Amino acid sequence: MLEIQGLSKSYGKNMAVDNVGFTVPDGQVGILLGPNGAGKSTIIKSIAGLLRYKGVIRIQGLPARTVEAKKVFAYVPEIPNMFDALTVREHIEYVRIAYNSGITDDEVEQILKEFEMDDKQDKLGNELSKGMMQKVSICCALAVKPQVILLDEPMVGLDPAAIKKLKEVVLELRDQGVTVLISTHMLEMVEDLWDIMFVMEKGHIIGSYTKQDAEGRDLDDLFFAMTGGEKE
Amino acid sequence: MKALIYLTKRSFINNLKRAVKKPSTLIALIFAVVYGGFVIFSLGIMAIGVHIDSPKGLLAVLAVWSIYGIFGNFLGYSSRKGIIFRPAHAHFVFTAPIDPKLVLISSAWMNYLFSVIIWILVGIGSLTVFRIPVMSAVVILLAGCVLELAFEISVMVFLYVNDRVPEKVMKGIRVGIKIFLAACAAALVLYFRRNGLTLESASVLLDMPGLQMIPVFGWQIAVYRLILLGPTALNVVCSILYVVMVAVSVAAAVRMKCDGGYYEEAAKFADDYAELKKRQKNGEMVFGMNGKKRTFRRVREKIAGKGAQAIFYRQLLEYKKEKFFILDKITLVSAFLAAVLSYSMGDSVAELGAGQFFLLGVVAYVSLVMSGYLGKWESELKNPYLFLVPDTPLRKMWYATLMEHIKALINGCIICIPIGVFWHVGPVEIVFCILIYVVIQADRLYTTVLAQCLLGDVFGKTGQNVLRMFIQTALLGVGVLVAVLAGIFVNMDFIFPIVLIYSMMVTVAMGILASLRFETMEQLV
Repeated sequence: MLEIQGLSKSYGKNMAVDNVGFTVPDGQVGILLGPNGAGKSTIIKSIAGLLRYKGVIRIQGLPARTVEAKKVFAYVPEIPNMFDALTVREHIEYVRIAYNSGITDDEVEQILKEFEMDDKQDKLGNELSKGMMQKVSICCALAVKPQVILLDEPMVGLDPAAIKKLKEVVLELRDQGVTVLISTHMLEMVEDLWDIMFVMEKGHIIGSYTKQDAEGRDLDDLFFAMTGGEKE
Repeated sequence: MKALIYLTKRSFINNLKRAVKKPSTLIALIFAVVYGGFVIFSLGIMAIGVHIDSPKGLLAVLAVWSIYGIFGNFLGYSSRKGIIFRPAHAHFVFTAPIDPKLVLISSAWMNYLFSVIIWILVGIGSLTVFRIPVMSAVVILLAGCVLELAFEISVMVFLYVNDRVPEKVMKGIRVGIKIFLAACAAALVLYFRRNGLTLESASVLLDMPGLQMIPVFGWQIAVYRLILLGPTALNVVCSILYVVMVAVSVAAAVRMKCDGGYYEEAAKFADDYAELKKRQKNGEMVFGMNGKKRTFRRVREKIAGKGAQAIFYRQLLEYKKEKFFILDKITLVSAFLAAVLSYSMGDSVAELGAGQFFLLGVVAYVSLVMSGYLGKWESELKNPYLFLVPDTPLRKMWYATLMEHIKALINGCIICIPIGVFWHVGPVEIVFCILIYVVIQADRLYTTVLAQCLLGDVFGKTGQNVLRMFIQTALLGVGVLVAVLAGIFVNMDFIFPIVLIYSMMVTVAMGILASLRFETMEQLV
């Protein structure tokens, strides 16, 4: 479970996120939507422990900044950044050691194969295209064997096959009881995935729906109804 | 910890493999080591030359190192910029279940390596230059590698982890330290100007009892005095105070709680540092990171000109939005060089005569020193729109680089006019020198384009620079040789016109060749 209570973050005088709270229960896919500058990235970075903030963030009931919480938490940032001098396989090996994840070699092979990276295992970080980096970033997150996973714009830069695979992986994780939070602009990409949605605007959550509450309405209908924009 | 060791070990091995495979990196590394050795050897010779090759001399060196080292570390660490983090750290390390304090301490390994190398050099220098007994040299080495390093790490942990002292207070302390260091430098310069730069005058300064009583750096100096000059009541007491202070600092650093708050600044630093490296790789002259967004002036103006002219007018508009228009860091360096050379060498050059040839030498030297710098024009080649502009490649190249020629003219004037006046060089020769400077700069631009065209990214920037320097030296060197021969055997007055006309011919030829690069975005290689 991912719990956020009274989260606030300001940059100087600019309040980026103001007293935000939401929860994504175990085995559910939450999506965080909102226009540019709404504060989504700030929330994501706060959960990932990359920002100071006021409020409480809990991962599986543990404060997010603790080592125990980080052990069960995986993060796929919007812009992947590889270590220049580490190969694809070494990135995963590093993750395996850091998280003591217990992932086997066969499982690593399987993940790499699913994302068509098995033949690029020996490529160095600085030899990868942006799309490949994104795939490695996803593979590394999966190698954690997380209980909570955070994906920030995960489809950007991926080819259609990888997007399809990622969607399947998200649903598999959900079925295994993993909590998933996806932040995205690409509403159509998460249409079939979500269980609970949160819409942000100007640093606040302006509304949320569960799949049941939505009663079969499209994601963009719900989104534009809340933000007041127009559906294209 | 195992993960961090794995990360460092694999990065080191892979970097080494890459360096061995890539000759340019290996050559640069060997060159850096040889050059470093040469600099250290020269410093040793200099120490002997100015007669500070004694224990007291070493004490003076270590005292200055002490003051600037401690405060320099404080400045770097308190602004949370003293440790190099990469964007990949934010992605893979800061989010991993690793103690943030451990991440901090392990990430600073380069700082420790630098400190240890410095102290090993001090140890070697103690034996070879400063004639210190072996035992004392070993103790100095140990004191540096253990005590000083332990203190540095403690300060680093305290300043990175500490979230209690408000940033405004830290900023105030940093400004205070900068003022203090500048005042120290000014006081030292004034002191040695008045008393002469001799070991005796330095000794009098270092023997002031009050110096050792100053907390932190004074106590550190007391430790050096104890090791190098033997015990006195004062240096023993102050050394004990220093050891106690280090022990307390280490204990405090170990006890401090850290939840990774510093990751925010570290991640920001990593992004800024990556941006800095990218800009440096692209040939920009970047001195530091301020992390602030660049601000531009508001200019309401339309871009004039047709076809390739639009490139020039767009650049002009961009420069108008800059704070100092087309004046940049190169202008500043030029002005500084001109001021220093005019003031310091004026009398001796005037005495020797032939100031015009010295000025020509300065022009050649400045061109060489600034040869790595590239301006706005370089980014033009990375923009696909340049190749879509419906005009001839030659015109595109001319208008893309025209602003650089104007800048070169301004910088040439800044360098040549004051130096020429102070060195009593005739106005005609000054004008020749300015024009030669402009032509050499133009030649540099066109040869760079040509080198890029011939080598592509196969040998990287280093390879391109080596080829550019080779072409430039070979072609312009012939001109200089012809000019010198004509000067010796025919008339000295021919030197300047021959150099200028020959350089112009070469530059025009290079320009025509380089314009091919403006035909298509794809490079020859």
